[in-house]
Amino acid sequence: MTLFSLARKNIQRNLSNYFLYIASMVFSIVIYFTFVTLKYNDDILASQQFSRQIKGLMSGSSVVLLFFIVIFMAYSNSFFMKKRKKEVALYSLLGVRKQKIGLMLFFENLVIGFVSLVLGIVLGFFMSQGLLMILVRLMGFEVVGSLTFSPEALVNTTCIFALLFLFTSLQGYRVIYQFKLIDLFHAEKQGEKIPRASLIAAILGTALLAFGYYTASADIFTSKIWRFFTILGTPLMVIGMTIAGTYLLFHSVSVFVLTALKKATSWSWKGLNLIGVSQLLYRIRANAKSLSIIAILSATTITAGGGVFGMYYNAEASVRHALPNTFMWKGDTVKFSQEDVLYNESLSVKKLRVDNEFSFFEYTLLKESDYNRLAKLQGKDEQLHIANGATVLLDTSFDERFSHDFTGEEFKLENGESFHVDKMYTESVLNFIPAGTVLVVNDKVFAATNAEDVKMQVVGMDNDLKQQAISKEIYNQLSTEQQEGFSSVPQSYEDGLATVGSLLFVGSFLGLVFLAATGSIIYFKVLTEAEEDQPKYAILNKIGVNKKQILKTVAGQVAVIFSAPLVVGIVHSAFALLAFSQLFSMDITKPVILWMIAYSAIYGIYYIFTVRSFYKIIRQGN
Amino acid sequence: MTPLLKVQNVEKTYGKGANTFTALSNISFEVEKGEFVGVMGPSGAGKSTLLNVLATIDTPTTGEIIIGDTNLARMKDAELADFRRDNLGFIFQDYNLLDSLTVRENIVLPLAIAKVPTKAINAKVERIATLFGIKELLDKYPYQISGGQKQRTASSRALVTEPKLIFADEPTGALDSKSATDLLESLSDLNNSQASTIMMVTHDAFAASFCQRILFIQDGQLSKEIHRGTQTRKQFFQEILQVLAGIGGGVNDVI
Repeated sequence: MTLFSLARKNIQRNLSNYFLYIASMVFSIVIYFTFVTLKYNDDILASQQFSRQIKGLMSGSSVVLLFFIVIFMAYSNSFFMKKRKKEVALYSLLGVRKQKIGLMLFFENLVIGFVSLVLGIVLGFFMSQGLLMILVRLMGFEVVGSLTFSPEALVNTTCIFALLFLFTSLQGYRVIYQFKLIDLFHAEKQGEKIPRASLIAAILGTALLAFGYYTASADIFTSKIWRFFTILGTPLMVIGMTIAGTYLLFHSVSVFVLTALKKATSWSWKGLNLIGVSQLLYRIRANAKSLSIIAILSATTITAGGGVFGMYYNAEASVRHALPNTFMWKGDTVKFSQEDVLYNESLSVKKLRVDNEFSFFEYTLLKESDYNRLAKLQGKDEQLHIANGATVLLDTSFDERFSHDFTGEEFKLENGESFHVDKMYTESVLNFIPAGTVLVVNDKVFAATNAEDVKMQVVGMDNDLKQQAISKEIYNQLSTEQQEGFSSVPQSYEDGLATVGSLLFVGSFLGLVFLAATGSIIYFKVLTEAEEDQPKYAILNKIGVNKKQILKTVAGQVAVIFSAPLVVGIVHSAFALLAFSQLFSMDITKPVILWMIAYSAIYGIYYIFTVRSFYKIIRQGN
Repeated sequence: MTPLLKVQNVEKTYGKGANTFTALSNISFEVEKGEFVGVMGPSGAGKSTLLNVLATIDTPTTGEIIIGDTNLARMKDAELADFRRDNLGFIFQDYNLLDSLTVRENIVLPLAIAKVPTKAINAKVERIATLFGIKELLDKYPYQISGGQKQRTASSRALVTEPKLIFADEPTGALDSKSATDLLESLSDLNNSQASTIMMVTHDAFAASFCQRILFIQDGQLSKEIHRGTQTRKQFFQEILQVLAGIGGGVNDVI
């Protein structure tokens, strides 16, 4: 019997043990191959004007992805090796040389690697096809691409994973050479010490997190902290403090809380609460690092995903806010298809130069009657009646933190005239391009104001997001100068979507991978512990604890292990997104909550699987 | 008086078809309340199988086991767990303490599972710990105490619920002679003072000499039964050695 056939038979007979390991390998390969296929798919991406942007994004992301896959594979491999230690010990006891065992494991890894590579690439090919369709949809393109098998992706994936398998095989070798036969005979393991809570570390952890949260939620533009550490330094500082705080939270605060719970005998001495709390306490310190990593990863994923999803969600609203008319341009009207047209108006406005104590800007002066007419056409109820010498300011880019509020002040023009600003609206009736900020005055004042006359065209259309063809039709008839001042809702929407949509795709893809990987890491960790704890649950069963109670305590323990990093991650990201939404002054509450729910739901599925496997493992002991 | 434990024609076979192995066959006996019964026999005779079957951890192939007025054969898995919780106590050779719990918490555990109020728990734990002389160790973890102390902790855990019946499976197997004597004396005292019913499996004649009655098992069948009666422990010990010599195979196990 050759070593190779021994390795092959080993796999064949222990398929169920190997299944988890192979599945996680296949998963990694599928993810990577899919991503690389999309990256190399010139056909589809080259035809788009944003392909370079996306390509850059994808290249960057594939590095992140690879980094992650390496961590993930190292984790699953060490889990797998731990499971097989007994087998290795047995071979060693029977007198097989370490070199030979190592060679056998190496062959085994080779077989596993080859099988998973083939499986992963086949699955990845189909998956990339599906994902590409989603990508195209998210970006708002209507391209149906036929997916061709990408040889570059194949070569890239094979090379990288061959290297990774070599690495994991060497890891296996290391385990064998470090392994001492005496370990096998250590039936009674030295008990691990139960951790003691350090009050200082617990307080420090809480303080770090509190300060990080406080800074993140402070107003970026007025906060002293932000001013002191600058706009670049502060986020770095906050991130650093949050990471340190998270670690201390899991390392010390958790021990503190659990110890307190254990001491509250009126609660802990009831049913299996004692077991649950003690088991958690027993493990938590060893798990502090993993839990912190998972919390930080979750926070990153939720923040990035929530931010991008928020932008995507707001893409339409922000376009409509800046561009209340479907099309607008300076100059004369042009001919175009009149289908779906709601209104097509020609306006006479004046171009103003306005000085104030800070600087000067160019403004558009609009007649009160034109305003009222447009407001009605756009479905706004408000009608203006402005007194002589007064004005209403329309500024869509107004932001209370940077913009000067002119309400109640005098607006001085270059020629010496001035208006009293009665009111200021953040919604306009003219598109920000080309009109900019608009001053509305009554018709008499408009006629009397000495300024350059400008003609502007505004068009409103039904079903405006789909009017790409008309947008192009108009655009092509304009002069170069006019084209610069041409604004179009469908065009802006498409541009925004193309960028944000690809961001969303890459973001959700990576998010999904992170999620799957963090979920799997907890899964592996919890199951390793389950195997170690098997005898404990057997004792409980002998003492007279029924299956239902055991399932309950297991579910409770696993729930804490799962929810602790998730909750911490969600809270972290809530504060990060608060800062994000402030920075871009967007309301992203709804998309962010949707995103968090989706994230938690997938996480929940992992939880259920873990509890089931945990329970199965400890039942084997009875 | 009805017996506390009644075993009728219990049989346990493993395997299927031609490969069956009979571990226990045609075992019948009774144990009265307050008895301290030993079960002896050579390795592989079926001692542990018998104990597991009686302790509801394993189920007999045929036959009936009645504890008090409960027939175990008719109970489901979950009911059996509850029955164990409420009526039985266990002491194992390898202590089976939970190493993430302190000595106190290990003893608390069966009471907590039985949902005894916290105040009552404290009193019970103090009492049993004093009885077994481990009061000073209550806040230590199992890895901090010796084997004998562990076994006394395990015994406290088994007895704290005041079970109807206590099963001990080679409780002195891993102890030195001093610790073993201490433990057996504690069990014997408890049996005298509180009329606890104890059933102990052992292959150690010295340990067995603390019992009032000993059942011998050979090849899965009851072969002999001896009573201590009015003998001293030493005389009983000699009698046990003689019986073991007669049975054969057991002598090497004795010393």
